[in-house]
Amino acid sequence: MFIKGVGMTEFGIKEDASSHLVYESAMEALNDADMSMNDVDAIVISNNDILSNGERQRHSASMVSSLFQKKMPIIAVPAGCAGGGTALWTAVKLQKSGNYNNILVIGFEKMVSNISKRITDEMLMGTERIYEQTEGMNFPAENALVAQQYMLLYDVTPDDLALVAFKNHKNAFLNPKARFYKKKVSLEEIKNSPIVASPLRLFDCSIPANGASALILSKDKTDVEITGSAEETDYLAPFEREDMTSWDASKLAADEAYKQAGIAPDDVDIAEIHDAFTSVELISYEDLGFCRKGEGKEMVRKGLTNIDGRMPVNTSGGLKAKGHPISATGVSQIYELVKQMRNEAGERQVSNVKHALAQNIGGAGSTVTVHVLRKVN
Amino acid sequence: MIIRWVCENCNKKWIYPVEKCVYCKGNIEKQKGSKIKVVGITKVTIPSPMHPIIPYNILLLQDEFGNRIPRKTMKEYKIGDDFVLQKAKTKDAVAVVKVKYDVYEAIKESIELLNGIGLNPNDKILVKPSVIAAAYPYQAVNTNPDFLNALLIVLFEHGIKKENIIVAEQALIGSDAKDAASKAGILEICKKNGVEFVDISKCPFEHIESDGYTFRVFNEALKRKVINAPIMKTNFQLGISGALENLSRLVDEKTQRNMYFDNIEKTLPKLAKAISNIFTVADATNGMQGQGPLALGEPAFLNLVLASRNAAALDSVFCEATMLPIPQYVTDYSDNLDVKKIEVVGNEVDALKYPIKQPIATDTAHPDIKVIDGKSCPSCLNIMYNLTSKLVGLRGEQINLIMGSMPTQDMINGKERLVVLGDCAIKKIWDLRIKHIAKIDENIGEVEQLVLLKKMLTTEGKPKITPVDRVKSKMKKLISKVIG
Repeated sequence: MFIKGVGMTEFGIKEDASSHLVYESAMEALNDADMSMNDVDAIVISNNDILSNGERQRHSASMVSSLFQKKMPIIAVPAGCAGGGTALWTAVKLQKSGNYNNILVIGFEKMVSNISKRITDEMLMGTERIYEQTEGMNFPAENALVAQQYMLLYDVTPDDLALVAFKNHKNAFLNPKARFYKKKVSLEEIKNSPIVASPLRLFDCSIPANGASALILSKDKTDVEITGSAEETDYLAPFEREDMTSWDASKLAADEAYKQAGIAPDDVDIAEIHDAFTSVELISYEDLGFCRKGEGKEMVRKGLTNIDGRMPVNTSGGLKAKGHPISATGVSQIYELVKQMRNEAGERQVSNVKHALAQNIGGAGSTVTVHVLRKVN
Repeated sequence: MIIRWVCENCNKKWIYPVEKCVYCKGNIEKQKGSKIKVVGITKVTIPSPMHPIIPYNILLLQDEFGNRIPRKTMKEYKIGDDFVLQKAKTKDAVAVVKVKYDVYEAIKESIELLNGIGLNPNDKILVKPSVIAAAYPYQAVNTNPDFLNALLIVLFEHGIKKENIIVAEQALIGSDAKDAASKAGILEICKKNGVEFVDISKCPFEHIESDGYTFRVFNEALKRKVINAPIMKTNFQLGISGALENLSRLVDEKTQRNMYFDNIEKTLPKLAKAISNIFTVADATNGMQGQGPLALGEPAFLNLVLASRNAAALDSVFCEATMLPIPQYVTDYSDNLDVKKIEVVGNEVDALKYPIKQPIATDTAHPDIKVIDGKSCPSCLNIMYNLTSKLVGLRGEQINLIMGSMPTQDMINGKERLVVLGDCAIKKIWDLRIKHIAKIDENIGEVEQLVLLKKMLTTEGKPKITPVDRVKSKMKKLISKVIG
């Protein structure tokens, strides 16, 4: 299974209609693949039908059919923030089992079209309705309680979290598609940013954005192959899990994806990790096997995940600074990795990438997809 | 208390109530943790519509079984602190408990927080839910049947015999209690539990006097301990329909009309003072917001059970939590009880605050028909609700319906196209010599009332009911009677 083309809109606050965001990202992917819509056999899309953006557009699969003037299998797979990754995983399964040569995968979301408290409310709806929503457990709060347990158990400091944010902001500065492109953010600004849900500060949180991203999954051989594709789902609320600081869905999905790809974590040259919060990036280093439990902080302290480090993470800027248009995020991670593997990443290019990994998370470790890509010579 | 549902056989555990284990099909028991510690805290500084007041804290609590739950609080805690809910120390205390998928446990906890109801196994009980109109449970017009079911179970656990319990209510004047209770699912719950449902309007009443006012009160309300079980709703006329308002249907129809004629805001507190032995357990699981108390209001997911020996204190705390103004009749009953001084146990009011939609006193079901309400009785309210609902979709020139016994010149000033509805308003408007375009007698048939209101909505100037209209309405009435 190969990736034939990728496309994405800028992640930002542009007020384009969702249909146009989808069009723009799909068009770029088609052009990148040197294909037209005639060559597409099926589409898998992901979107959360967010109410606060005012579009009131349900049944997005048919909207996409109208947009592309095409009648064919189109499946919508909403999965919270893991929507993009889940759409890709679904497409992989579909391609393995069916007659579809080329499958277009699209994630899209309009997040930034209302006041902050409405957007916070939209995200709140991703948490458990009785135990969490009624107790004010919005997404930052849910992750803050996880982060606190993690920091207490493993001596992680707020400065470690700030280093994650600083690294990802430096990368986004170089990414023309990122919301923080050419916007400089200092370590001091990060450390002094206001508390959102203690211990998490504003700059520990990803930045919402509008955007879409697309890719074409193909049976035709290209320069990038998907060698591992896994999805796992854990309980909705982190408080329900035995260990809040290690996410089973991440570990299980990673184990499966590595097994399929026939590689070990050490073989990964570059990764896009779901840094919805800086603490999640550190926990994910460990869950994905890049280091032992509790040692995530060392990776960021030593700069191992910097763009010039041993294993660069979130060269795109991550959700933190590229932006997080929910369902678009997972596919945009693949966009970045493909660009890196093709040496098309411009100023943020990492050399000699053979194996790349994308981890997309919905909820606080609730739904996780892990994809492993291989550079084909 | 932290609850988990655990399989007795294989020990699988759920945060949701399940009846059987989906793995081994074993029986499920509740695991209730009571030794609770604070193991995590976050201070949240960003507001959301459900949680508008910031900052607030969320505690991560853990019990002796290792089960955890989050809990919102405005108080400051430290990791390692014990988390203990204090029980009530004062008689007017209000317990507020969030329902964690189990309304029975929430009712039980609310009662325990008030140190029990104080029942003896031989006590005779009158359970007084709100069942005012024929509406489905999801419409949140009436007390939810699941809530009533859980309350009855709690009473049985106190040793009360089912033959010593009656569930009694009368619907709004003009509606049938059994029809209402049937559609509301209340009759089914009574039947299931072997408890009699009593239509108060068909029962004997006794004269009692309170604070210079005479009431004819359902005699069982004076003989039995009353468990007041209202649903908590907004009310476009009274602000809220809650614990106090629910008592207004313990009197006969004539007294109800008199109470409204003489100003319900003054007479209701007097009635409440006349009935002793009241313990309120209120259903705010799915309450009502907006244009309550009938189906013009919208369900409001509040997820709360409130309990108190003081109905007014309970109503006040409900208003505080939902950020509604406290109605004058509530404060009057409690001798201007300061809501800030009411002891609240279970949850903190500030941590609950969530603004629900307020009712608009002038709105009806129809956008072109407004109300000038001079405290009309439930009979006219029912007529107004039915008529305006049936004319939705028919647009016309705005008319203002004057209702009740207490409209004043100030309320009417500047308003045009006045239509008077009901005998009380007709009399009052005559006394005030106020010009109006028509009047709707409450004793004429519904079809005729409808024809008249329709004409007024769609006709400029002063409409008239012609003999042809009368014949038409009589025929319609006949036809509707024949075809049911």
